[in-house]
Amino acid sequence: MKFAILLHPSEIVAAVGDCGTCIQFTSYKKMVEINTTELTEDEAELYDRQIRLWGLDSQKRLRKSKILLVGIKGIGAEICKNIILAGVKSVTILDNGVVTDEDSCSQFLAPRDQIGKNRAEASLSRAQQLNPMVQVTADSEDVADKPDTFFGDFDVICATECPVEQLIRINQVCREKSIKFFCCDVFGMFGYTFTDLQIHEYAEEVTVHNIASIQDCEGPAKKIAKVDPVKVTTKRTATFVPLQDVLDVDWSSETYIKRLPKTDCSYFLMRVLLRFRSKCGHDPSPKKRQEDIKELCSIRNEVLAKLEVPVDKVPDELFSHVFAELSPACAIVGGVMAQEIIKAVSQKESPHNNMFFFNPTKNVGFVDCIGH
Amino acid sequence: MAASIAGVFEENLKSAVETAKVLVVGAGGIGCELLKNLVLSGFKDIEIIDLDTIDVSNLNRQFLFHKQHVGKSKAAVARESALTFNPNACIKAYHDSITSSEYGVSFFKRFALVMNALDNRAARNHVNRMCLAADVPLVESGTAGYDGQVELIKKGLTQCYECQPKAAQKTFPGCTIRNTPSEPIHCIVWAKHLFNQLFGEDDPDEDVSPDMADPEAAGGAGDALKVASNEKGNVERVSTRSWSQSCKYEPEKLFHKLFHDDIKYLLSMDNLWKKRRPPTPLLWGNLPDAVAGCSRNDIESVLKDQKNWSIAECAQIFADSCRNLKNQFESLKDDDHLVWDKDDKNAMDFVASCANIRAYIFGISQKTRFDVKSMAGNIIPAIATTNAIIAGVVVLHAFNILQNNLESCQTVYLRPKPTHRNQLIVPEKFLNPPNPKCYVCSPKPQVTLCVDVNSMTVKDLEEQVLKKTLNMVAPDVILDGKGTVIISSEEGETTENNLKKLEELGIVDGSVLKVDDFLQNYELSITIVQRLVPKDGPDFDVVADSSQLKPKEDKAESSGANGASDQDDDLLEVVEEQNPNFTTADSKKRKTAGETDDGISKKQKTKDVVLVVRGEI
Repeated sequence: MKFAILLHPSEIVAAVGDCGTCIQFTSYKKMVEINTTELTEDEAELYDRQIRLWGLDSQKRLRKSKILLVGIKGIGAEICKNIILAGVKSVTILDNGVVTDEDSCSQFLAPRDQIGKNRAEASLSRAQQLNPMVQVTADSEDVADKPDTFFGDFDVICATECPVEQLIRINQVCREKSIKFFCCDVFGMFGYTFTDLQIHEYAEEVTVHNIASIQDCEGPAKKIAKVDPVKVTTKRTATFVPLQDVLDVDWSSETYIKRLPKTDCSYFLMRVLLRFRSKCGHDPSPKKRQEDIKELCSIRNEVLAKLEVPVDKVPDELFSHVFAELSPACAIVGGVMAQEIIKAVSQKESPHNNMFFFNPTKNVGFVDCIGH
Repeated sequence: MAASIAGVFEENLKSAVETAKVLVVGAGGIGCELLKNLVLSGFKDIEIIDLDTIDVSNLNRQFLFHKQHVGKSKAAVARESALTFNPNACIKAYHDSITSSEYGVSFFKRFALVMNALDNRAARNHVNRMCLAADVPLVESGTAGYDGQVELIKKGLTQCYECQPKAAQKTFPGCTIRNTPSEPIHCIVWAKHLFNQLFGEDDPDEDVSPDMADPEAAGGAGDALKVASNEKGNVERVSTRSWSQSCKYEPEKLFHKLFHDDIKYLLSMDNLWKKRRPPTPLLWGNLPDAVAGCSRNDIESVLKDQKNWSIAECAQIFADSCRNLKNQFESLKDDDHLVWDKDDKNAMDFVASCANIRAYIFGISQKTRFDVKSMAGNIIPAIATTNAIIAGVVVLHAFNILQNNLESCQTVYLRPKPTHRNQLIVPEKFLNPPNPKCYVCSPKPQVTLCVDVNSMTVKDLEEQVLKKTLNMVAPDVILDGKGTVIISSEEGETTENNLKKLEELGIVDGSVLKVDDFLQNYELSITIVQRLVPKDGPDFDVVADSSQLKPKEDKAESSGANGASDQDDDLLEVVEEQNPNFTTADSKKRKTAGETDDGISKKQKTKDVVLVVRGEI
């Protein structure tokens, strides 16, 4: 009896060492400019602990990527911090709003004495201090006024704080220009992320059991074959749908009606909150807490009726957790979103296809595939 | 700040956040994120403690620190940066060790809540005991790469940090390290031991010369051994340190002894090589300068840390680092010695070059300096996003605790990939109740110590058993029934007992020791079971659950590997890897070389966390 490796050879791209650094480099020179392909000794020192996790190749892909961040309130600040620390090439912060008192709940990039000033510009200095090797730019215009051509300069666009109509438009532009699109929001302690990478190729490490020595069982020694787990990198492809498809899901269709009992309230809460944002022109406001809770209830009734989903799917109690953007929720959802951006840019590991929700009432964060 | 704006929080949470006094232990990766979340949420009365200073490799995630802060106190700089987010908060920073006697039970009792953001098991154990003693809720957390964990510890309600034995660090038999290495890690451990033999703290368990007592070499090798030691004029009897000093650390001579003479000597133990590839002795004047699997062009092309060195290069780096370390060593005071540090260039160069030369000799694959550093320095990778997510969950737990909603604080895990239920942030279903046999948090904590009372000294009992294994800080020990004071935490009171064997003080099979650590407010009774030290076995075993009084070394060893499987939702435990810990049966072993116990822990600079499978209780 003999053992065999059950993996198709064409799937194996490269065998990986202990630290996942399977890549051989072809040219090295001491560099000053950010634009070259090799890492400097300074970068290697600064990024040491993360290179040991995701490898040199991922780090090199990160430092080539140009990111547009639309909206820089609480969750925007978290994403901004995380991707600047990771060492991308450039981050452009686009926000036409002004710093408010409410920003103090989670927006740590804009200093407290900048209330009333443009939020993107107020955040620039602290964002830049996080990592001098990243080019950080502030843009105080309204994303709605930006022509489609504006978006073509970026590899990744991550939109927060946008009305759903604007999200759909940016998503559409990204599809036309093959830009990786993300959007996310935090309402109080609740949050979601959405990812559209269109057709995305990535490498994933899988463990296969390699046969180190093959022993014949009939042989006199009767030794057991030594089976070593070996990590190999395989190439995979994931296909995504646009945000529009996520919103167009027919919950009365056969597929989705079956899923409904197991589906968490989070998706529907997101629909209610996005509808509130579009209808009222702002997010639920702490100043009008009771009034806005009433409004949320009536929007909930309207949205869920339209979706043909029972109203009790989104209980009233949830609305007490959706005011302002709370720092711990921004840290959680912004952390997840930034890691997805890092994964997409470095084309390593399986991306979340296509939504992530954080439900604070259960402390649970889960991935759901909606609209495929 | 969330709590100061009307309508953000519900009323009870708003007032709780604004008035609660909280302690953050650690201002590293999780600590920075935590402090940010706390001040933004509106906490006004925060204390933070960390003994560490800022290093460049912290800056990719500890975002309250910037390049100009390198070398400064983490706690102090974290406080300054966090105050810019919320100038109205009151933050007190301590640049100090939380295990210091200044932070006693009364210090801990002042807080509504303690949040750990630590990186080592010893400090976690200590804070666990302090919070149990003060009856203050503790939120414990940890991260390693993409993994993370948050857990509530509340006396009487949940498990404490020490309810479940943690897996021990991986160790290797001394003869594997000294005679028959077969993996890169064996060579790296050997190289670190060599560093200590030449420049560091002398530890007889870290001998690097051929081990003549290797049971595998027995029979047939005896004659060869005699001849060899005669020829060398009993060189083996002289310590490596004195020998190297006598030849003034001349790199060429060191090289010749370590990589030629000692290897020749090993070859003479021919039983070892019957089923193994025999090692190849190297000569200083004739070293290969090609790198396996690389053309000359490739070699020139990568970061220094990332390229494979030829043996000739290794020898050069060995020689350079030896000379530099010799100078560093000789500039110290008489009794002082160097402490191996992965961030010291020469110390790291020395270990990387020695390990690679030895690997070549034994036909083991070579490693880059980057990879050797990971293994020798026991580096656990760390990223900003994982720490941010975990710190977020810690603060949500804090909100629940302050609202007296402890039942909602189930342990939460962050996974690298969604589970089969598609969960990435995974809560447990229930709180884990305390282990009734826990040797720390049960009402009458007790353990059994299996030991040879005729060979263990009182000093060993204090250092190896009570401090190193049972994590006490300042224990007092009384022999129950007789009232004899064995160990007093008062300086000098029981010094005369130090070198006495346990038996000389009347400690025999069946004796019970009453141990009291005043600082930790922790009392433990230890039942002695007389047991001769088994050959190649541990000097002693500590067993928490006496119904398990049987050897379980294999289990403890096999579960201690790095980066253990993370498939099962319920088996993960975030623990620090550096210090050997309490397990069913493990401690300092004869002829066993520690993989990771190094200068870092001695300097209390431990910072790295690893996930291991929780050993079964």
